[in-house]
Amino acid sequence: MSESQTINEATTNIQTGQPDAKTRRYDRQLRLWAATGQNALESSRILVLSASATSTSILKNLVLPGIGHFTILDASNVTPQDAGNNFFLDGPDSIGKNRAEEAVRLLGELNDGVGGTAVKESVGEVLAKQPDWVKRFTLVIAHNLENNLLEKLSTLLWEDEAGPPLVVVKSAGFLAEFFIQFRDHSVIESHSDSAPSLRITNPFPSLLSLATSLDFSKMDPTDHSHVPYVLILVHALENWKKIHGGSPPKTYAEKQEFKKTILAMKVKQDEENFDEAEAQAYRCWSETKIPSDISSLFSLPAPSPSSNPNTFQFYTLLSALKTFTSIQPPYALPLSATLPDMHTSTDTYVHLQKLYKARAEEEKAVFKELLKKEGGGENVDEEAVDNFLKNCHALKVLKGKKWGAFDTDREALATALQTYPKEASTHLALSALSALPTDVSPAEESLRATAQNIVGQDVELPDEFDNAVGEIARSPSADLPTTSAFLGGLVAQEAIKMITKQYVPVNGYCVVDLVETWTGVIA
Amino acid sequence: MAAAAAQTNGSAIYGDWPGRYFHVDQVLDRPGPRTDPSFLAGDGVKKFLREECKILVIGAGGLGCEILSNLALLGFKDIHVIDMDTIDISNLNRQFLFRPKDVGQPKATVAAEFVMKRVPGVKVTPYFGKIQDKDDDYYMQFNLVICGLDSVEARRWMNATLVNLVDPENPESLKPLIDGGTEGFKGQARVILPTVSSCYECSLDMLNKPTAFPICTIANTPRLPEHCIEWASVLEWPRVWKDKKMDTDDPEHIGWLYNVAAARAKEFKIEGVTWSLTQGVVKNIIPAIASTNAIIAASCCNEAFKIATSSAAYLNNYFMLIGTDGVYSYTFEHERRPECPVCGGESVELSISRDWTVDRLIEMLVEKQDIQIKKPSLSTPTKQIYFQAPPQLEEATRPNLEKRVSELVPNGGEVTVTASSLPFSLSLRITFI
Repeated sequence: MSESQTINEATTNIQTGQPDAKTRRYDRQLRLWAATGQNALESSRILVLSASATSTSILKNLVLPGIGHFTILDASNVTPQDAGNNFFLDGPDSIGKNRAEEAVRLLGELNDGVGGTAVKESVGEVLAKQPDWVKRFTLVIAHNLENNLLEKLSTLLWEDEAGPPLVVVKSAGFLAEFFIQFRDHSVIESHSDSAPSLRITNPFPSLLSLATSLDFSKMDPTDHSHVPYVLILVHALENWKKIHGGSPPKTYAEKQEFKKTILAMKVKQDEENFDEAEAQAYRCWSETKIPSDISSLFSLPAPSPSSNPNTFQFYTLLSALKTFTSIQPPYALPLSATLPDMHTSTDTYVHLQKLYKARAEEEKAVFKELLKKEGGGENVDEEAVDNFLKNCHALKVLKGKKWGAFDTDREALATALQTYPKEASTHLALSALSALPTDVSPAEESLRATAQNIVGQDVELPDEFDNAVGEIARSPSADLPTTSAFLGGLVAQEAIKMITKQYVPVNGYCVVDLVETWTGVIA
Repeated sequence: MAAAAAQTNGSAIYGDWPGRYFHVDQVLDRPGPRTDPSFLAGDGVKKFLREECKILVIGAGGLGCEILSNLALLGFKDIHVIDMDTIDISNLNRQFLFRPKDVGQPKATVAAEFVMKRVPGVKVTPYFGKIQDKDDDYYMQFNLVICGLDSVEARRWMNATLVNLVDPENPESLKPLIDGGTEGFKGQARVILPTVSSCYECSLDMLNKPTAFPICTIANTPRLPEHCIEWASVLEWPRVWKDKKMDTDDPEHIGWLYNVAAARAKEFKIEGVTWSLTQGVVKNIIPAIASTNAIIAASCCNEAFKIATSSAAYLNNYFMLIGTDGVYSYTFEHERRPECPVCGGESVELSISRDWTVDRLIEMLVEKQDIQIKKPSLSTPTKQIYFQAPPQLEEATRPNLEKRVSELVPNGGEVTVTASSLPFSLSLRITFI
């Protein structure tokens, strides 16, 4: 490119690299969940029961990032009270109109790419007349739904193994909680901070021969300061093992000594590659073949054939992974093709990257052969295999529970009240509130008596319960703008994690106290 | 509902209708178990909130849009908002008061108009400009300030300004500052009572260190696509375009950088240079989503509401949220730093080598996590060591950069550090080792 060109001339032919309008709109979120996450969002259909302030706050945070479609089920008309606390109603102009229709109209303005439907029916009617309709959605969210309907709905969705997860959201004044009901949630892209093994303790042949062939004494100073830490560590560890009966450094003293031998390899004080090697030396004793979080997944029971295809595919891949680690030396997870940055020259880095890639390809071929032998394994596409292998060091599997199961397990409740008194008290107070009739404001005494019934008469409620129950009695039917906005963010964030199957959603009751501003998770 | 609409400017309190505050009033009509006894439930507190309280919002972006809508629904009626930015298409995935037709318009103005249209009777006064344009008298008129910013420098300026505003003789001069910030699935909200609790500057060392690539790697041994992009923007741009300023919002400029970086990556057999990565590296883009902003903004407004009404205790003083693995949050009291240059008063003790030059000391002041002063000017009580501006003074003091600090400052001597971007000075006590 000649320097006399103007920017215009120099760039006219490369404008094709510029992203389209949709990518630009979603740029800040694509950096978190990429096109795969975005596609999952765009194929999702969300059902929200009621158009309360909390419900529309949740939906706002799902419509903005671009879910495919949302449905609000609400038979009621907008009251003056609704018009005062819901940003997705048009103030007094909405009073008297159907709440779902008004909310769908105003939420729809947030994103042209998202479809919205208002269904002017009550949850009770729908569950009585056409219960299977609710199973057509990707995710169902219910805010402050009456207990008997919630029980019906959660049982309906729980009993269908391929049915959608249900998010149960409750709030009163400054207090709130939500719970995601799902059977099994597997995450390949957990975006964990843990890094894959570099096989320093079990080097593959080409890595081992490169590292052991190095003659540090014959290198010129530049080359010496450019040996990447991976090679330094493999080299030093092999030497160490030779004089220690084949064992790596084990005791604290040995580890310190090993680090010293690395620093002693320096020919100049400022050789950063050796500093890096010392800092990464822990890999020589902590790099396990299979992280315990992953090997523990190998003993999970296979899912039933009626679970959804996504779950089924995950377990097929997991089963092949288990076989791989038991037959393929060095009996470790398949090698990752990605190499972290390290102090070295471009050529050495690119060469090392090639070695890792080549080996990773070989192991992938072995893995794919094993996958073919699994039932359904031949249907897994190349992209899914790559994604699985790239992330197999940080897989996550969550086993969920049915909503409400916790409240019937008195032992678990009693333990939680002792171990997490604030969280458990708040949860219990909210459970008591929804067990009482909704048409009158409950007195503190009846809330307390109801809670005592749930947990059992023999259990003493902690002091923290006074705070929770008093706060609920103060504002039992308040859907505060800030509580609803806070929940709107939290629930939408978890919904996004469930839908994209990226990051790790919360498992249990997530309890919120906005008096003291804390969140906690129990059960 | 023509009747209700007609009330907008005529009713007792700015267009309120019966039942409007049904939800909020539940916590204003009676105390909770943890409410301070000084809380005066009922009409008094409502009158203050809805008729008297004046609140300032800094930023009308991701957090700002959420903050404005929350405050309006809570019943704050006199809201001011400052933002110097205009709307970009990449804002639309979260800044929900803006529509595609608004791209290019000032954020503060569009946000204010939207909130006033949606929530009748609320007055939102926008200012399209910089916080630095306003003087102490301007900031003095507010009861509370909420910051929803993405810039560390702007936060430091606002924090220092509010700390400086405190006059011990005048309780009204203490303006609670509520600060929110987000990054991807993570965020934090905090309450700062200037001169009373830990301030923004006290916690500077909690900031993540920005990724910096050494120039020698960029120039000689690139390994990552980022190294190639840095080469294009840091080294090639000034070489090719001389004094022409790079505009990271100009797609033609990004396009040029992308091309240059891609060519270098090809030469070195490095994979992964994309348009998106190029833009991300040169603009230092931080991922941002609606949901995290909603959580943090709600938390900020909740604290503002509690402070304004005393209906519940406010946060003491830091709430941190990490949403990548489950929902993890941590609420704690961040302690004041006695040597905080803004609210501490004590000098920072610094031990340096006798051989250090002034230039080396400056380099340290720029990098040190709890100081981070860009372009510092240095002086002792008796002489100027180095001044960044005006140009004559810079030229006159420039020779000192090469001198040893120990030649200019006695052992145990004091050095005052100032910077034009920050309305405070840092006092260093230097000992030599």
